Amino acid sequence: MNKSTQHDALHLTVNNLHLQYGDNPILKGVSFTLAPGEVVALLGASGSGKTTLLRAVAGLEHPSQGEITLGKTTLFDGAKDFELAVEKRNLGLVFQSYALWPHRTVFDNVAYGLKLRKVGTEETKDRVSQALKNLGLGHLAERYPHQLSGGQQQRVAIARALVYNPPVILLDEPLSNLDAKLREEARAWLRELIVTLGLSALVVTHDQTEAMAMSDRILLLKDGRIEQAGTPQSLYAHPESLYTADFMGSNNHLPANVVQAEGSMASIEVAGRVLKGVCKGIIQAGKACTALIRLEQVRTNAEGENVIQAELITSMFLGDRWEHLFHLHNGADTIRIRAFGAVPLATGEHQLSFPADALWLFPTA
Amino acid sequence: MNALARYGLSRTMVVLVMALAVFMPIGLVLWQSTLNAPFFMPNHAYGLDAFRFIFDDSDFWSALKNTVFIAVSMLVIAVPLGGALAFLLARTDLPCRRPIELMVMVPVFVSPFVLGFGYVVATGPVGFYTLWVQNLIGTVPWNVYSLPSIALIAGLTHVPHVYLYASSALKNLGSDVEEAARVTGASPFEVARRVSLPMVAPSLLYSGVLVFFLGFEIFGLPLILGDPEGHLVLASYLYKLTNKLGIPSYHLMAAVAVCIIGVTFPLVLLQRYLLRSANRYIAVKGKVTRQKRLPLGQWRLPALALVLFWLLVTVIVPLSGITFRAFVSFWGEGVSFAEAFSLHAFVEIWNQPNLLRAVLNSVLIGVIGGGVAVMAYTAIGLASHRKQDGLTRIVDYMVLIPRAVPGLLAGLAFLWVFLFVPGLKEIRSTLISVWLAYMVVWLAYGMRLISSALLQVAPELEESARTLGASAARVSKDVTLPLIRFGLLSSWVLMFMIFEREYSTGVYLLSPGTEVIGSMLVSLWAAGAVDIVAALSLINVALVAIGLAIALKFGVNLHE
Repeated sequence: MNKSTQHDALHLTVNNLHLQYGDNPILKGVSFTLAPGEVVALLGASGSGKTTLLRAVAGLEHPSQGEITLGKTTLFDGAKDFELAVEKRNLGLVFQSYALWPHRTVFDNVAYGLKLRKVGTEETKDRVSQALKNLGLGHLAERYPHQLSGGQQQRVAIARALVYNPPVILLDEPLSNLDAKLREEARAWLRELIVTLGLSALVVTHDQTEAMAMSDRILLLKDGRIEQAGTPQSLYAHPESLYTADFMGSNNHLPANVVQAEGSMASIEVAGRVLKGVCKGIIQAGKACTALIRLEQVRTNAEGENVIQAELITSMFLGDRWEHLFHLHNGADTIRIRAFGAVPLATGEHQLSFPADALWLFPTA
Repeated sequence: MNALARYGLSRTMVVLVMALAVFMPIGLVLWQSTLNAPFFMPNHAYGLDAFRFIFDDSDFWSALKNTVFIAVSMLVIAVPLGGALAFLLARTDLPCRRPIELMVMVPVFVSPFVLGFGYVVATGPVGFYTLWVQNLIGTVPWNVYSLPSIALIAGLTHVPHVYLYASSALKNLGSDVEEAARVTGASPFEVARRVSLPMVAPSLLYSGVLVFFLGFEIFGLPLILGDPEGHLVLASYLYKLTNKLGIPSYHLMAAVAVCIIGVTFPLVLLQRYLLRSANRYIAVKGKVTRQKRLPLGQWRLPALALVLFWLLVTVIVPLSGITFRAFVSFWGEGVSFAEAFSLHAFVEIWNQPNLLRAVLNSVLIGVIGGGVAVMAYTAIGLASHRKQDGLTRIVDYMVLIPRAVPGLLAGLAFLWVFLFVPGLKEIRSTLISVWLAYMVVWLAYGMRLISSALLQVAPELEESARTLGASAARVSKDVTLPLIRFGLLSSWVLMFMIFEREYSTGVYLLSPGTEVIGSMLVSLWAAGAVDIVAALSLINVALVAIGLAIALKFGVNLHE
């Protein structure tokens, strides 16, 4: 099933986009491109502007400056005060709530885009049936939205946005309305659909796992700006800021003082022990810094360099593994360190090792 | 043409037509009030003679005093009773709630003029209940024509207005806050006084201002009940002015109108402000997820008795009075119902063309006029739907203006418009003139119905159609309107009832061809045709009852 030829190969370009509600700036200069056949995730906490950005691309929000272009078509140009009306942008948008029209059947919901494009009755029927079949909804055409399950409603919403072959499909939190269990299946299904149909998609999500699983590239937004952009692997493994590192995975935070900085590496002191780590940003001797290590990078019962001794408080069973909680005494304070392991550990003191290349040192703001 | 480009042709047109309908009559009133003679007289000049005249008139001051007295009494009577009624019906296990909830709405939909007339024939000097009580105890402990009686009746008939706002606020209150008070040891009465009602204080405050405002507009009740002892209020003073000087004293009427609007318009603005700040209060409430009624225990029957007594006085007494009176040809001491029974009044209505026309016109203006009014309100609603721009703000404020103008004045203002704007003379003698005035008078009410229907539509449902390629107009046609279909039908039924109820707006527009029951009642009452007034009132009540029945059948929310 190769349908990519049906979708026009167009680049979506957003350049220096600004948007505000009254005096409250929401987007403060966002730029990115979406290549044909690419899936880009807009990831961020609530209030980061990700949904606003998606809606601005769709034409539902009104930016104050910047440009949005799709191929050779200008969708928005702040300098010329030009805004292409929503209905003329020919994009597909799937809403978080699906926004199916309760007064229309599944068929009529999906057929509406074709009706607006004055496609003939016969062809509409064929194309809607095909779209519904592609999404496994062939037998539900005559139902009304309220007669469908959440997952089915989501598929109808996607079918409605895809049936007229928009060059780019925009998905707003596509999985958030599904049950936790269903969500993982739907994630795989959605990724499969996007890949097999060769769609260009912009996906908004607040869940980093979802973003990593579904997209080719992630734009992490923070306060209306792009904090970091790149492939899921690069964002996960090479965060450039503490915010990105924190957002993308589960971490241990260790307050530390820099003992010595040499090139890209530095020695730090944590609770009286000296450890080595990688500098992320400007690390200077004598200053405080935040040392950060992903939970899965901490090795228990290890020997060698970069080892620290901590007391095991408890081990929690997570099904596929164990999570251990250690306390590291730092004068009057206690630093909590979590780590994964395959087996439960005995209570008492344990040697934890932090591989130097996985211990990231961020300057304390 | 800048506005055209920015807001689009159809939106601009809708708002322009609306502005014309709103500002022309009110503008004419304001202008007329600054002239020292009616504006159609050749020798009119600018001056404040009209104001000087009415301020020198002792009747004006006594009317103002009576108006303030009645408005304050209404506030004092209606707010506590309305709040209590709302608490009993919305929060407790009072028996027979459903039929009572329905009966409570009757005074809202029955014309105050009809109710006032009902009190005259039921409790006036020779009223049915008066004679009955006199036979029973040998004396009559009330005088329905006194000013305190008028104020009391006005207060009691406005209890539902408070009830409406208080009950919708109480229904949004979680029962956990009340249960917490019960567990701490409070009686149901204490719960209402210390917890539930204080929590809906913003709604009570709002409805208090509303009732006070309605007190300033009050016309039908004091016109009927105040006449025998000569108690005037501002609106009936204005009405009596018509013939004060022999010639049409439009400049004086305009001056009184400006005085009334001078009080009502600030009250309208205050209401708007209160409603907005009441919405801000929403954060303070319990969990609405679970609603459990508060058991009244031993208070159940006393509370029911109290509510039934209010219903008896406010609904059953006047309506039963009208019903009796419509079927007797004469009435007085020593007359028995059997010997006086007659269908004469109904035959008379059937035989007199203008009376029959009034009935038919009333049906027409309710059914067709109500329907077209809903369409017009919908057009305005769609013009400002989901658009936060200057045009929407203009519409917002324009809706408020007719609200400050009592129906009697609006009818007068429209009369002037039809008489003196070239090209409109032909409309004047058709029902369209009355319909236009009705539509403008009830603009705010109708717009509230439409906007609450429009608010039910989730924005994504419209946005998704836009992204699929539908223009704004297409979205209205394909998505918004089909989704609010039921809301529009409900609004139609409600507008039907409101248009049947209306009586004061048509008073000055009454002429051969424009008769409606409401205005005919006022004019027949002045002529002393009590039998016909009774029969027409009964027909009027029956029309409203048909509307209520339809509303019930289709589950229309009467609490808008």
